[in-house]
Amino acid sequence: MPPAGEGGRRRPGWLRTTAFRVTLLHLALTLLGTAALSGVAWWATIGFAARQLAADVEQEAGVLQRAARLGGAPSVAVSVEARMAADPTGTGYYLLAAPDGGRLAGNLAQAPRAAGWSTLRLQGGPQPETEVLAFGTRLPDGAFLVVARGLAPVRDLEARLLGAAGWVGGAALLLGLLGGIAMGRGVARRAAAMEAALAAVEAGDIGRRLPARAGGDEFDRLAGRINATLDRLQDLMAAVRQVTDDIAHDLRTPLSRLRQRLEAAASGRETDARRAVGDAIKECDRILGVFEALLRIAQVEGGGARASFKRFDLSGVVEAVAEVYGPAAEERRQTLETRVAPGVAAWGDRELVTQMLANLVENAVRHGREGGRVEVALEGAPGGGAVVTVADDGAGIPAAERGRVFRRFHRLDAARSSLGTGLGLALAKAVADLHEMAIELSDNAPGLRVAVSVPPPPRQDGPPR
Amino acid sequence: MRILLVEDDAETADYVARGLTEAGHLVDRASDGREGLILASDGGYDALVVDRMLPKLDGLGLVRALRAAGVKTPALFLTARAGVGDRVEGLEAGGDDYLVKPFAFAELLARLNALARRPPLQGEPTVLRVGDLEMDLLRRTVARAGKRIELQPREFRLLEYLMRRPGQVATRTMLLEGVWDFHFDPRTSVVETHISRLRAKVDRDFGAELIHTVRGAGYAIRAPGG
Repeated sequence: MPPAGEGGRRRPGWLRTTAFRVTLLHLALTLLGTAALSGVAWWATIGFAARQLAADVEQEAGVLQRAARLGGAPSVAVSVEARMAADPTGTGYYLLAAPDGGRLAGNLAQAPRAAGWSTLRLQGGPQPETEVLAFGTRLPDGAFLVVARGLAPVRDLEARLLGAAGWVGGAALLLGLLGGIAMGRGVARRAAAMEAALAAVEAGDIGRRLPARAGGDEFDRLAGRINATLDRLQDLMAAVRQVTDDIAHDLRTPLSRLRQRLEAAASGRETDARRAVGDAIKECDRILGVFEALLRIAQVEGGGARASFKRFDLSGVVEAVAEVYGPAAEERRQTLETRVAPGVAAWGDRELVTQMLANLVENAVRHGREGGRVEVALEGAPGGGAVVTVADDGAGIPAAERGRVFRRFHRLDAARSSLGTGLGLALAKAVADLHEMAIELSDNAPGLRVAVSVPPPPRQDGPPR
Repeated sequence: MRILLVEDDAETADYVARGLTEAGHLVDRASDGREGLILASDGGYDALVVDRMLPKLDGLGLVRALRAAGVKTPALFLTARAGVGDRVEGLEAGGDDYLVKPFAFAELLARLNALARRPPLQGEPTVLRVGDLEMDLLRRTVARAGKRIELQPREFRLLEYLMRRPGQVATRTMLLEGVWDFHFDPRTSVVETHISRLRAKVDRDFGAELIHTVRGAGYAIRAPGG
């Protein structure tokens, strides 16, 4: 691979791709593997043949040496002649030289002068050139014996093996290249598919997802993760769009009312104008109230308030909220029944929980039956934690509607003309979610029962205050 | 009362300054935090109205610097943000009260009056008196014209809040914060209903009315002719 950073010169794009590197690496490994395999094969075949040849030469030399010890040089000469006669076209070569250098027997034209192993090239034989492996030894009586064998079979085997290695190497090169390209292209193709899908999302097709097989490889897992992120983004965008639509829809009515009032004030008599402006200010305050509630919900949903969570006295909060709405309930001739277990603590933002419970009690007082009964209770839950219950005996909420009342601006048709902003329960839900409290609506037969399950505060809680 | 208004938005500053002047206060203006700090450092003011977002030195920094220098002039923060932790942050920086924009002018005025006339901590009274109404803070009893009035604990606190500031306007939100520790505005008129219940006990069977409604602002307790 080329060294990284070549004096700032940029390599072409494809050289930097993972696909190219994978191809190259695959090829290199395939070739290395083939080379190692060939090395082993070489050693096992050629090496074996050469060693076998040497062993044959050594053995024959040993036999002739024994003949020399028994019968001297003449015996050796006879033995050599016999061997040559038994194998006329063979690959065995011999030379028996007298101590003065004269040839006594054998068919070797040249011979090494020194004892030991050597390789000779023979000229002028039946073949143009013959290579032999020769072993020279001095016999006890001073004669010099050389035994040699033609290396042709070994050389032949070598040539065959080289040819085979060439084929295998070529095949490995080809397969490695093909495999590498296939793998590289696979990587490149899937990366390109992911890139294309993401580009489509970026261009606005937010519903587009990356190709991902279930239980697949790391690419599939990565694609799955990206898809989950996109799902979440899409949900958030849908939520934002929903809120924007809701705001546009729900604020148009009060804003047009405001405009009518101001128009009437501009054209009417002065005494009427003063009242109209007063009404307009009230309308403005209502609109501002809606904005504040929306911002607060958004802020609570953002989760930033978690940083300032503390342990607080939930019993005190429930009591205070019930107490605040006491006279309001009285005004509607309702009985406000309060049962608060003392000393129950919770973990969270005291102000937000107060507002959540106030919204619930306010709803109960507002939508409960006139002259009826509103119940506010705090009880310890069996598995730790506590449950706050707010119940009324008003019209209640049909079971089919219960899931929807937590949405922003959702109001039952019956309540649409009332003064509420339609945000009270949405805020309550947001606060409950922030605190990991479960909020549950049920039928109070008649009326609505809201139960908020409050988890116990964590044991590890800073220094006592 | 001498009031320093530190606000960079000219329109809001004009509006607040005009209102305060009409209410009989002397108003000095600063349009950035540094100028505000220099003016306020004299300590010659009765109250400070400080916007939180200011050029050069923000409102929190301004009040923090003043408190570090030992200037104890009561300060009220104005802010366009109504974040969950913002109020606490303002109070921790040394502010005494906190008002979110947009606000009714009557609200600002009532809060400033309450701030500037805070009773000194030493010499805490044990008995509060308004006309012939008497509140014993130690025995937790209330009597009018010598006749004992039974109050619920929260009614007692509501009356106490008003009696500690005789003649001063307490707005709905001031009462919600001061009596119930509610830092949001419920839509149901909870304060009105509590006040009317308190009136039934304190005023109904006696000749002169002590608890007054201040139109467009809030409530005040004062002795007849006082």
